[in-house]
Amino acid sequence: MADAFVQGLLLVLQWKAFVFMLLGIGVGFWVGLLPGLGGATTLALMLPFIYNMQPVEAFAFLLGMHSVVATTGDITSILFGVPGEATTAAIILDGHAMAKKGEAGRALGAALASSLVGALIGAGALALAIPIVRPLVLTFGSPELFMLAIVGLAFIASLSAQGARGMLRGFLAGGLGLFLAMVGQDPQAGIGRFTLDTLYLWQGLDLVPVLVGLFALPEIIDLVVRGTSIAGGVPPGRISHGALEGVKDVFRNFWLTIRCALIGTFVGITPGLGGAVAQWMAYGHATQSARSPEERSRFGAGDVRGVVGPGAACNSKEGGALIPTIAFGVPGSTSMAILLGGFFLLGLVPGPDMLTKHLPITFSLVWTIVLANIITVAACFLLLNRLTALTAVPGHLLVPVILVLVFIGSYTSNSSYADILVTIIFGAVGYFMVMAGWPRAPLVLGLVLGKIAENYLYISVARYDAAWLARPVVLVLLAIAIGVICYPVFQAWRARARSHAHG
Amino acid sequence: MTWKLAALVAALGALPVVAAAQANFSGKTITIVVGYKPGGGYDATARMLARHLPQHLPGKPTVIVQNMPGGNSIIAANHIYNVAKPDGLTIGTFNRNLPIAQLTRVAGVKFDITKFAWIGSAANETTILAIRDDLPYKTFDDLRKAKEPVVIGSTGPGANTYDFPLLLKDLLGINLKIVSGYSSSADIMLAVERKEVDGRAGSYSSIQPFIDRKLVHPVIRARSSDKRLQQLPLDEDFAPNPRAKAIMALRSAPELIARPYVLPPATPADIVKTMRDAFEATIKDPATLAEAKKTQQDLEFTPGDEAEKILKEVLSQPKDIVDEFSKYIKFGE
Repeated sequence: MADAFVQGLLLVLQWKAFVFMLLGIGVGFWVGLLPGLGGATTLALMLPFIYNMQPVEAFAFLLGMHSVVATTGDITSILFGVPGEATTAAIILDGHAMAKKGEAGRALGAALASSLVGALIGAGALALAIPIVRPLVLTFGSPELFMLAIVGLAFIASLSAQGARGMLRGFLAGGLGLFLAMVGQDPQAGIGRFTLDTLYLWQGLDLVPVLVGLFALPEIIDLVVRGTSIAGGVPPGRISHGALEGVKDVFRNFWLTIRCALIGTFVGITPGLGGAVAQWMAYGHATQSARSPEERSRFGAGDVRGVVGPGAACNSKEGGALIPTIAFGVPGSTSMAILLGGFFLLGLVPGPDMLTKHLPITFSLVWTIVLANIITVAACFLLLNRLTALTAVPGHLLVPVILVLVFIGSYTSNSSYADILVTIIFGAVGYFMVMAGWPRAPLVLGLVLGKIAENYLYISVARYDAAWLARPVVLVLLAIAIGVICYPVFQAWRARARSHAHG
Repeated sequence: MTWKLAALVAALGALPVVAAAQANFSGKTITIVVGYKPGGGYDATARMLARHLPQHLPGKPTVIVQNMPGGNSIIAANHIYNVAKPDGLTIGTFNRNLPIAQLTRVAGVKFDITKFAWIGSAANETTILAIRDDLPYKTFDDLRKAKEPVVIGSTGPGANTYDFPLLLKDLLGINLKIVSGYSSSADIMLAVERKEVDGRAGSYSSIQPFIDRKLVHPVIRARSSDKRLQQLPLDEDFAPNPRAKAIMALRSAPELIARPYVLPPATPADIVKTMRDAFEATIKDPATLAEAKKTQQDLEFTPGDEAEKILKEVLSQPKDIVDEFSKYIKFGE
């Protein structure tokens, strides 16, 4: 196995494979930066180019592209508050708040460094999981997946403001998200729910226009209203300075970074949960690291831990997502489904063979993720000054460009005018939520987890009746969910106890 | 006078260009509108054809793919029917089950499927039911004698993962328990792998890798022209009455034209003919076939007139059969 590990590296370092990887990284870099244009679509577009490549070259190209999308997506999210990818929305909350305070450099530094750590951990998990991958994936049946969705929903407690009022608002927003997830044809009876008699809503609300509306439009309105640049009155020279500080932040919160990366890997391994979930669970977990209510209230206003957490999770999930694809030929996401098509194209059949006969190729995938991320992060650091300078550009010059990109981005999800309409409607919803102090994160969490929770609950009950409730992993996950919900209460209690001790 | 002469000369000069534009696509861009997002089977077939079609079309035009997802591809079909110009520059490919949508009067359908100018179908599918290898149900006979319910995973109504086992259960009385809600057929396969479900239905081409791996084996199939599957029992042969047989046949009919390709209604006959010839040549081209084999797609061209025959058969069913059919089958996916 150690042999295969080294062989894998040598395969990627062959000059042709390496050049194709650089090409892939170049493409992925731009796809990540542009809002809306997603990694999956680009993979589908790039698939024809691999016809005449060797397997290692092809995967260096495709995976190189795919694994940097999340990193550069973070950049757009932080600088403009516009989600560069559906998987990089959570980083906006604190990342963009930092950019507005003139700390874009520090936020980007932290995001890039945590992305790199995340990617390395994800790739490491992939390498380590190879011997035990089959039992690992097979442990998680539908009941376990349902409970995982519940654990995800429990993070609403951490994503809401403190106190009874904050919790109530958080769970109401989460409820709205769950409701929005119901839109579309239901999978049990085939009946359309809340489709307003339109064909557009048959397949449910698309995540991209909703996210772009919810997060980008309020920021754009805010920028216009303020009439300044994104970073307000902060002199341009200072903005890019904090990059090193941001890198240090990652190491100051090293265990948090590791934990969030592990959350990402885990969500990635679990087919069906979807990449959009990982970032929010990680963000929720990051807010739990606040030691006092005052500290907690700084989340959303530019706490660097709110950048580090999702940054790490977003990149570590890719390594995880490859696991079921390689070991079973069962893709965990759309991107992986397209990559699977690539496997067939090259005459490789994913499945047990990838863990024995083709092990060097499997390890070459691990190495591609590692190298692609290192190269991208290095390139981003070189460009950091130029990127952060964008936050010093006056709003009236920036807004038209961002608006065009935002609407083109959401239009690409269905090529339908209704995409634009959804963006505007959720823009209004997002704006009023910000104005009234309602948290947006629970709404998104409800939306991304609603369908998963509903379907797996149905399957669990239909398949096992009530017996699924007694499965050991289900019970463990239930305990975790309860712990996650109670944690903010415990935090408040501990803070009170401490202030009593002082007083 | 001179200007009239000049106009005449200009018109005469323009004439051959106009005439050539109809049969010749030189310098033109042809768009294939796909009713789904990138990444699925319909999209993969369209993208493969888009690469090979230009060699077989007069004038070697550029062929591109545009995705127009939504409404299980009713949106794309409506667009081709009502908006696209009948000039041969827009081709549509969509859900094979759209005839079922029209038959069961799904709201939002703004087309008559028989009035498209049919190029034909690029592939046919066979739905099979596959059961896990470690279970005692080796043949369909074993399955008919099953005492315990056999759990079948599915995505949801309207998909062959659901509809095919539903008819086996309700019309043939096989002891199946259908559990739906899996997010994709790959997701069901994983449930098979972890023994959460006992088997699944689906197209033979998508299940084949798992049959080769000895995870599952096929026990019964729907109507099919696939030579490799003729020895597998056919669902219709077990039908207790003609009505049940008609319903099964109706469900499987669209699978014979599983990758439909159409032009807008009222497209001139010469363009339709040029397209049919080009599609046929493309699908028989060894280069296309080699690529199809690699990507695990089975291409088989069904010309437009045969596709129209199948559609007319589907849509001319008596009302009582349609009503009965609608009780079981909902349009979807």
